Amino acid sequence: MTPPAGPATGIVGRGNDDGARLFRQWFAQLGEAADADRPSAYVFVMGSLGELMRTFDLPVVFPEINSLQTAVRRVAHEYLNVAEDYGYSPDICGYVKADVAAQLRGGQLPMGRIPKPAIAVYTNACNTYVKWAEIWERMYGIPVFTLDVPGTRADGTQTWPCDPDFEHDRRYVEAQLRELIPLLEKVSGVRFDVDRLREAMGHANTMGRAWKRVLELNASRPAVFNALTDGTIYLGVANGFRGAPEGAAYFTDLVEEMAYKSAHGIGTPTDERWRLLFVGVPCYPIFRRFSEMFTELGGTFVGSTYLNFASGGANLGYEYDLARPVESLAEGVLIGVRDAMDNMFHQTPVLLGMLDQLGADGIVYHPIKSCRTVSTGLADSRRALLAARDVPSLFIESDMMDRRVVSEAQLKNRIDAFFEGLVSRRALGGAARPPAQA
Amino acid sequence: MAYAAGVDVGSTQTKAVIVDERRRIVARSLTMTGANVTRAAEEAFAEALRSGNLEDEEVEYVVGTGYGRYKVTFGNTQVTEISCHGRGAVQMFPRTRTVVDMGGQDTKAIRVAPTGEIQDFCMNDKCAAGTGRFLGAAAAALDIPLDALGATALRGEKAVKISTTCTVFAESEVLAWLGRGKKIEDILLGVHQSIAGRSAGLARRVGIEAEVTFTGGVAKNAAMVETLTRAIGAPLNVSEESHYMGALGAALFALDHVLGAREPAPAREIA
Amino acid sequence: MTAAELFPEWRDRPLEEVLARCGALLEDESFPTVARWRAAGGRVAGHFQVYFPEEIAHAAGLLPFKVRGAPIEPAQADSRFGSYLCSIVKTSLELALSRRVELDLFVTHPICDAARNLGAVWGRNFPYPCEILYLPQNANSAHAATYLRGEYDRLRRTVERVAGRAVTEDDLRRSIAVFNENRALIRDLYALKREVPHLVRADEAYALVAVGGLIPREEHNALLASVLPRLRSREMKKLDKVRVVFEGGFCEQPPLDLLRAVGRSCDVVDDDLLIGLRWIVADVAPDGDPLGALAHAYLERSTYSPVQHDLRKPKEAMLLERVRGAGAQAAIVAAAKMCEPGLEEQVAYAKALERGGVPFFVTEFEENMSSFEQLEVQLETFVENLLFE
Repeated sequence: MTPPAGPATGIVGRGNDDGARLFRQWFAQLGEAADADRPSAYVFVMGSLGELMRTFDLPVVFPEINSLQTAVRRVAHEYLNVAEDYGYSPDICGYVKADVAAQLRGGQLPMGRIPKPAIAVYTNACNTYVKWAEIWERMYGIPVFTLDVPGTRADGTQTWPCDPDFEHDRRYVEAQLRELIPLLEKVSGVRFDVDRLREAMGHANTMGRAWKRVLELNASRPAVFNALTDGTIYLGVANGFRGAPEGAAYFTDLVEEMAYKSAHGIGTPTDERWRLLFVGVPCYPIFRRFSEMFTELGGTFVGSTYLNFASGGANLGYEYDLARPVESLAEGVLIGVRDAMDNMFHQTPVLLGMLDQLGADGIVYHPIKSCRTVSTGLADSRRALLAARDVPSLFIESDMMDRRVVSEAQLKNRIDAFFEGLVSRRALGGAARPPAQA
Repeated sequence: MAYAAGVDVGSTQTKAVIVDERRRIVARSLTMTGANVTRAAEEAFAEALRSGNLEDEEVEYVVGTGYGRYKVTFGNTQVTEISCHGRGAVQMFPRTRTVVDMGGQDTKAIRVAPTGEIQDFCMNDKCAAGTGRFLGAAAAALDIPLDALGATALRGEKAVKISTTCTVFAESEVLAWLGRGKKIEDILLGVHQSIAGRSAGLARRVGIEAEVTFTGGVAKNAAMVETLTRAIGAPLNVSEESHYMGALGAALFALDHVLGAREPAPAREIA
Repeated sequence: MTAAELFPEWRDRPLEEVLARCGALLEDESFPTVARWRAAGGRVAGHFQVYFPEEIAHAAGLLPFKVRGAPIEPAQADSRFGSYLCSIVKTSLELALSRRVELDLFVTHPICDAARNLGAVWGRNFPYPCEILYLPQNANSAHAATYLRGEYDRLRRTVERVAGRAVTEDDLRRSIAVFNENRALIRDLYALKREVPHLVRADEAYALVAVGGLIPREEHNALLASVLPRLRSREMKKLDKVRVVFEGGFCEQPPLDLLRAVGRSCDVVDDDLLIGLRWIVADVAPDGDPLGALAHAYLERSTYSPVQHDLRKPKEAMLLERVRGAGAQAAIVAAAKMCEPGLEEQVAYAKALERGGVPFFVTEFEENMSSFEQLEVQLETFVENLLFE
């Protein structure tokens, strides 16, 4: 139960504190599951089906989150080395390699010990998920289930409920969910109870609604949270507690905190002179320093596409229809996961919307070596955006896991130059100019 | 008369430029950076003062730039070499809209507004394949002095295709071509074309807009000018002062402070 | 479809010349056959790796053109993409940006995230339809066939718009018949490679298959039908080479020179080069519902690759089966640089081959690599070890 909102005591910073606490709680539970050899589900941020996993009492392990934590805690290189010694190329996704190493170490991670998977459930939102699951399939002989989510076919052709093409895709997703359910029963030993699913989906509705509201509240001046740093904490809960009552309570509290901060003009701890958008996955190997290189110069990230796709599209605020849970789960997964996996198609309108809604001064694109989903066409996507709107932008490449390709000096050089550009643009009055030639 | 200075501390060389309030270059100097970066900056500045017959006190503001810009401890502030090269190029060639700067260690492509304001930039510093370092490696492999590279390459007729992406292997690839009986001139021409191609690729990332100005130490290499012109598909502005472009830009930023102006003004004629 | 042949140069020529011309056509960066098709008023459907149901485009009178990159510099395409990326995605776009080929439709598949992104980038840079054909990645769902048939129907609608005409069931059945014949002829070629590998070099066999992606299938059928019997009666010295399976050419293609280098010490008795052109391993049912038949064949009568996940087709087991079925002594386990699925599969393949007691050679390649000395020395050493065991 949260104490009634009052003067600043306890409410400001509560989200970060509670988030850290919940994260520790999650890992304590995973440690117990590991010790008791209980079945757990390995899932991913784009389409975790947390609602369904809860229905079967399956603790969820998010290998992506585990891997990024090794980077934040500065031990990723040890894990990467183990995996590369085992035979994996330096050029493949760092998340996969860190997890392979964790498995080879009996599930030992800096945050605690994780249980082995009894099942892996994943979508095709990222094709590497499929290869990743195959690794566990071989290592442990476990069932792996691909929830195939048909994505956007072409730019400007997204389909929506009631459209025959959408329904065609939704039926496929629903059929697969109905095939997944008996498999989860078998693995967990728990009978499927549709009311429990309803309950979990209800919590997910609360979380989705609240998450959308939290993101909107950052239109406040000053911004109420830093989308790069604070946002990562919120994402941890959004994923680890999806469909859980603790997740619903957390996000309800988070809205309260952010609304309070907004009403009282309370911003982030750093000076906000420039409001920025972030596109990509954060640079975890030097996470704090990376953020400081912006905040030192007065840059605050008010929005980030990471908060969209890494929440599995929860930012859309889609609400399940609890009267038809399985059908609606299929619909929600299709809409949410599709949005997450297809940001290469509709990034321009999304970013233009964020620029206007959040009043941002510039955009920082951060493609990474590990992730071709996010990075492949980012340069072209940026080009398209700059053709539509003359907005200052920075394009910096590094990685979210591999310290070897992160050069702090080089990043700082570019970041400094970007801010110099922002300063001189503002000094010139920021006069409207025709869009730059692409 | 007021004076301002810029000190560009690069990985191999440090350059200093002093300008007067009419934006004329009144002094310049170049020294090797070496291990003690601060000392190199101090020496470069002192040498520039000497050559311009000026006293320390007469220079009212100093801007440090280059990778060692934070080590210019006697300076008043730092500005990145990206902004400085853009500014310097526009000063030299007022219609500059794209700058390609080829230094010893990295290559930059910069798109600038008429005001000298940076609109976009892209740098190749993941590896030395598109930079002057690659030339150095090739020169070492062929045992040719660096300053003879350009002239030799210009005599090439049928450039060989250099496919290596790594400078470390450039040496073995160059020797392999020699072993296959290819002429040094053709090999060198191929090396230049490879570097030019990569640099043009960088420029395309920021969008090539006329006029294109080529700066940095490598711009003194006639073969590089020719191959880069072809790779970019547009004529290049090259200045005698291409080595000093970064330091000049820094000096101009310093002058802004002296004149009390904060915004970069459009380039004026150098009287 | 045009009346005149797009590739008449092989007709009535001796075998050696036919093979040389196929190789030359393959390495011709101006794609003359596609240009001829367009000049005669035809429209072109470019399709990316791995597998595309070409029958659907063919039934509409389009030329299905297999987009498989090229050993060229992606001068214009490079700036559209980031750095850590396979070459094929960039060079494929470059073909279109540089106008070496002009398309009326471009289709890619969700084989990997680079390929999905390619659809978005292509679509932003060209006015014609560019889309992803969402082939199912859960082939084990009972609903997959229904889903796929619907997806093929959607593709058919796109193709009809591009071609400006309807595609009937009879059109599709006719096309299926043409492609069934094509697949059968390619199977014959592969049987020949297994039985008498000394009669056809690795790069020659490759060119014979690959030109199918550049010309109308009817012409390809005629070409293969003419060449196959002549190969069988070819006079070639039988040399002492190791029989190998080349695994790793399912998407980005090794340059022909690399295949020639391999061919100097090995007989490539089976491979997955351009596997998309022979993804379906048996005839597609020629009667009944044609789209349903195509969907069924994709799911039930197909081979394997690192970019498909099907619980009935465990890849390592199928690789071992390919090695044994072809009577190979060893496997070359290759991967294109930066290819996520390929590089990951390499690890699994290597471990499985080791457990299975099959000698193997691991390597990486890039489509526009031009020096092979290092590779050849390593491969020769590997082969010597095998021969002198």
